Amino acid sequence: MNERVAIVGLGWVGFRPVTPERSYKELMYEAALRAYADAGVNPRRDVETFVTVAEDFHEGTSIFDEYVPDQLGAALKPVHTIGGDGLHGLAAAYMLVRTGQFDLVVVEGHSKVSNLLTLPEVTAYAQDPVLNRPLRLNTHFVAGLEMNRYLHETGTTREQCASVVVKNRYNALSNPSASYGAELTLEEVLAGPPLAWPLGRREAAEQADGAIVMVLASEDRARHLTDRPVWILGVGWCNDSPSLENRDWAQAIYAREAGRMAYRQAGIGNPRDQIDFAEVDDVYAYKELQALEALGFCRPGEAGELTEAGVTAPDGDLPINVSGGSLGVGHVLDATGLARALEVALQLRGEAGPRQLEDVEVGLAQSWRDVPTTSGAVVILGN
Amino acid sequence: MTLLERDPKAAPAWRGELPVTSRYTFGLAGERFFRAIQEEGRILGTRCDGCARTYVPGTIFCERCLGELDKWVDVGKVGEVHTYTLLYEAPDGSQRETPEIVAFVRLGDGGLVHRLGEVEPEALAIGMSVQAVFKPIAEREGSILDIVYFRPI
Repeated sequence: MNERVAIVGLGWVGFRPVTPERSYKELMYEAALRAYADAGVNPRRDVETFVTVAEDFHEGTSIFDEYVPDQLGAALKPVHTIGGDGLHGLAAAYMLVRTGQFDLVVVEGHSKVSNLLTLPEVTAYAQDPVLNRPLRLNTHFVAGLEMNRYLHETGTTREQCASVVVKNRYNALSNPSASYGAELTLEEVLAGPPLAWPLGRREAAEQADGAIVMVLASEDRARHLTDRPVWILGVGWCNDSPSLENRDWAQAIYAREAGRMAYRQAGIGNPRDQIDFAEVDDVYAYKELQALEALGFCRPGEAGELTEAGVTAPDGDLPINVSGGSLGVGHVLDATGLARALEVALQLRGEAGPRQLEDVEVGLAQSWRDVPTTSGAVVILGN
Repeated sequence: MTLLERDPKAAPAWRGELPVTSRYTFGLAGERFFRAIQEEGRILGTRCDGCARTYVPGTIFCERCLGELDKWVDVGKVGEVHTYTLLYEAPDGSQRETPEIVAFVRLGDGGLVHRLGEVEPEALAIGMSVQAVFKPIAEREGSILDIVYFRPI
């Protein structure tokens, strides 16, 4: 059995609202080549098994997992595709190394959402076919219901949620890979068109294309390959009851439980003191606040105040979504969790360029699988 | 129309679409739930005494203890607005001029997602009591749409 697992290679392409000149296979190929070069490995010779994350309807291809091996160098090798978020894939790759059966494993996630011309219909097709779908409601209603109850129970304000948008889109201006960097005022965010009141259109992340590949290695292999491994200290994932009728509407309980699972492995009893920075779900602005509370960085109702006070800004005590998050980088669907983990890994390596945080040793990435799901995952990384 | 469709010099692309049609049987619990709505205008749940929870809509199992449930209860037509939203986007992603009012109405320990009617957005509040308004019995077909909406009482 391999006790410790490290990320030893990072490669990505994107992130852009449209990528008409490249197919999804070419995006994956380019990200994979970069990751293999970064890790210094030959995929055909060295990588033992591959994990990808994808969802057929997002790809516009049924049995999409059949379409992943060749462009990754995975043909004639063990490959499996997970219907989940990128962090579920990272967790699976981590476990494959931990088994001791494999020393070098690759995980991939991508988005070619610009190819998908009817995304709202695809998302609506994820609603319960008998209880919910006959109402013919755009699935943003789930976020509107959740945000309203979250505000009601915690006393969080619409302005506090909008301050997440101001922060994350401003952060994205320092990230050359981000699509949606902008200098917005609170008033400009709140004055945007309504989406699912209290949720505004400018509080929902816009989509982006891109691909991310990571190479994971056992400790022995990692020490041989690199002098700057990023260690995976803990992983966790959890689902609340998926039905709209039985879920909790105010809190991200799935994120809380995923966090607890990861904290147990990483030996973290006080996340606020032991974690230096985090990249969390912000597909809708209020989700960032909900996630911070669920992950134990603060008490319910405090995340909005911390955001307004600048605590979660890059120069604050607890920088959150320095990359720009999904609001600033762009929402990359199934690759979202890997995008969050990518930023954590870059920061821990000291390779985050103009947005590099100082003296960071432990970072957390958390993701959610978007409406209408209650599926979330957490990974804790250290250098 | 997207930018790529407007630009005659944009990269060429092939378009594909798939007609997906499925038939969703309701299952043992769903059949009982929707029959009660269609034939009696009643909303039924199932009770787990061990967990002290009433599932609405009724299910044949308790998701907490995984015990089988066979104790059906009428939870009435009146529930509480647990949360609501004003939905400005149509299913195809286009903007709506006037919003749809959508709520999660608490019934028993579960509830139903549905539209609210006979109410202005300004009068909405979390915690307000609302009642299910059913279609005339002759027009019901055993679906969630047999409830037209919930209205304040």
